[in-house]
Amino acid sequence: MDTGSSPGDPGGAWQRAVRALERAARAEALAERYERLALESGNTRHAELAANHRRSAACHRSSARLQKTFAQQLMSLTGPQDTQPLFMSVVAEACGTDSAALTLVGSDQSQLAVAASDKGSRAAQDLEYVLGEGPGTDAAAGRHRVSATGLDIEQRWPAYGPAVTALGFGEVIAVPLKTPDGCLGSLAVFDPRPGAATNTVFADVTQGLVQTMLLGPDADPELYGGTDHRDAVHQAAGMVSVQEHCPVGDALALIKARAYADGVPVNEMAERIVSGAFRLA
Amino acid sequence: MTTPAQQIADVFVELSGGSAGAPLEAPELLATLVRYGPELLGVHAVGTVAAVDARAEPQVAGSEDGAQLLKREALKWAEGPGTEARNSGRPIPCVALDGQAAMRRWPRYTSRALELGYTRAAAFPLRTRERPVGALVLLGSPADAPMSEETGALAQALADFTALALIREHELQESRTLSGQLEHALVSRVIIEQAKGVLANSCGLTMDGAFALLRGHARAHRRLLSDVAHDVVEGRLRLDGGDNGLT
Repeated sequence: MDTGSSPGDPGGAWQRAVRALERAARAEALAERYERLALESGNTRHAELAANHRRSAACHRSSARLQKTFAQQLMSLTGPQDTQPLFMSVVAEACGTDSAALTLVGSDQSQLAVAASDKGSRAAQDLEYVLGEGPGTDAAAGRHRVSATGLDIEQRWPAYGPAVTALGFGEVIAVPLKTPDGCLGSLAVFDPRPGAATNTVFADVTQGLVQTMLLGPDADPELYGGTDHRDAVHQAAGMVSVQEHCPVGDALALIKARAYADGVPVNEMAERIVSGAFRLA
Repeated sequence: MTTPAQQIADVFVELSGGSAGAPLEAPELLATLVRYGPELLGVHAVGTVAAVDARAEPQVAGSEDGAQLLKREALKWAEGPGTEARNSGRPIPCVALDGQAAMRRWPRYTSRALELGYTRAAAFPLRTRERPVGALVLLGSPADAPMSEETGALAQALADFTALALIREHELQESRTLSGQLEHALVSRVIIEQAKGVLANSCGLTMDGAFALLRGHARAHRRLLSDVAHDVVEGRLRLDGGDNGLT
């Protein structure tokens, strides 16, 4: 797992783009070979293989586009005062929106790491974390696409729904980050432009993310420094478990509940606890 | 030779993991291929060799002890029709093993095959998208009918299907390994941060101090940091900042 590329270095992103293009070219050459074989033999298995390679090539191309756009954004930085671009904002753009959130979960469906493209998606992701329900959770657990608009959002998730529409979002679509026989988490996008978030776009973007950024020889699950492991939250959970003489899981639930009740982002609540400025109970 | 279509279809289903549909792992897959091979192809015996990962030791299977032994020796000697089919990616049509040509081509292989009672052999590569990953070898005795063109076509189809199943299984294993590594790395980070919090509060340390205590204990006891952290979080291990955590 390569976590060496620094967030500010476009070189890593260019290299990933080039390698993704090479993989795409290889997959396309194979697809062509099988298409010729299928024509000659009429064998449906060859046609299936050709289609698989075409799909795989599309994923690699999509992945190369993400890397290239990100590298260009890094290179257009003019000074140190510029804010670092986020890889997730490139992912969001590919899905036709400004707001996209990625969540990585464990086999027990617990959230292990998150990344978001902007404040809105970050706030929505926090809501899902503290309330324990929402589209990303459902997409990862059910391994299928979840989408909802307007009132449907509020009815579907009684706690999360009204809170997320209060943020101003009117539509959410979440898709699982599938592996051949598992699921790494989900990608949620908010208010995509009409017609932008098609199944094909999602399939290419999620498979590109899984194959290039999360798994494989080239992986950087840190997303160029954009991944948040919620370190402070887990530190605070450890502290609260001692203070309250309770299991760390219960301590985490207490922190989430308090953050929600006080209307404070959970990471900020955790930092207050860690710094000693705030004690639960 | 004609084989009923139903019988052929059944074997393909078995190779795809049977009615349960769970992909077979490589050894089971090869065992299935050699179990059904002789009857389906109307030959005395079949042997197979395969290695999806070029760095790994190739696996062999035979429908009977002789075929398995011959396959293993062919691998050792790097000789014989299977070896050639595997290297070239092209089938080796039926060869008379008691003929001069075969003896010159594969001296050790032919004499051992004849000793074991095999007088004819044909080989088909297990072909995949990029390279052959093995071979299926058909072994005939003098009592067998001659191998027909149909037999050859069916054997190649079986070999290709097996190769595809092997590749799919290999990709599945690889993806499981990588997903497992990612999850392990993420979970370890969470548990270490939780342990830092526990120690910071119970020992009155900063987060950096808590990490140093955790790491010191893991090093002193030659344990994984994440295992120590787990014990701390679960309350099975109490570390004390004062005594270097040896309690």
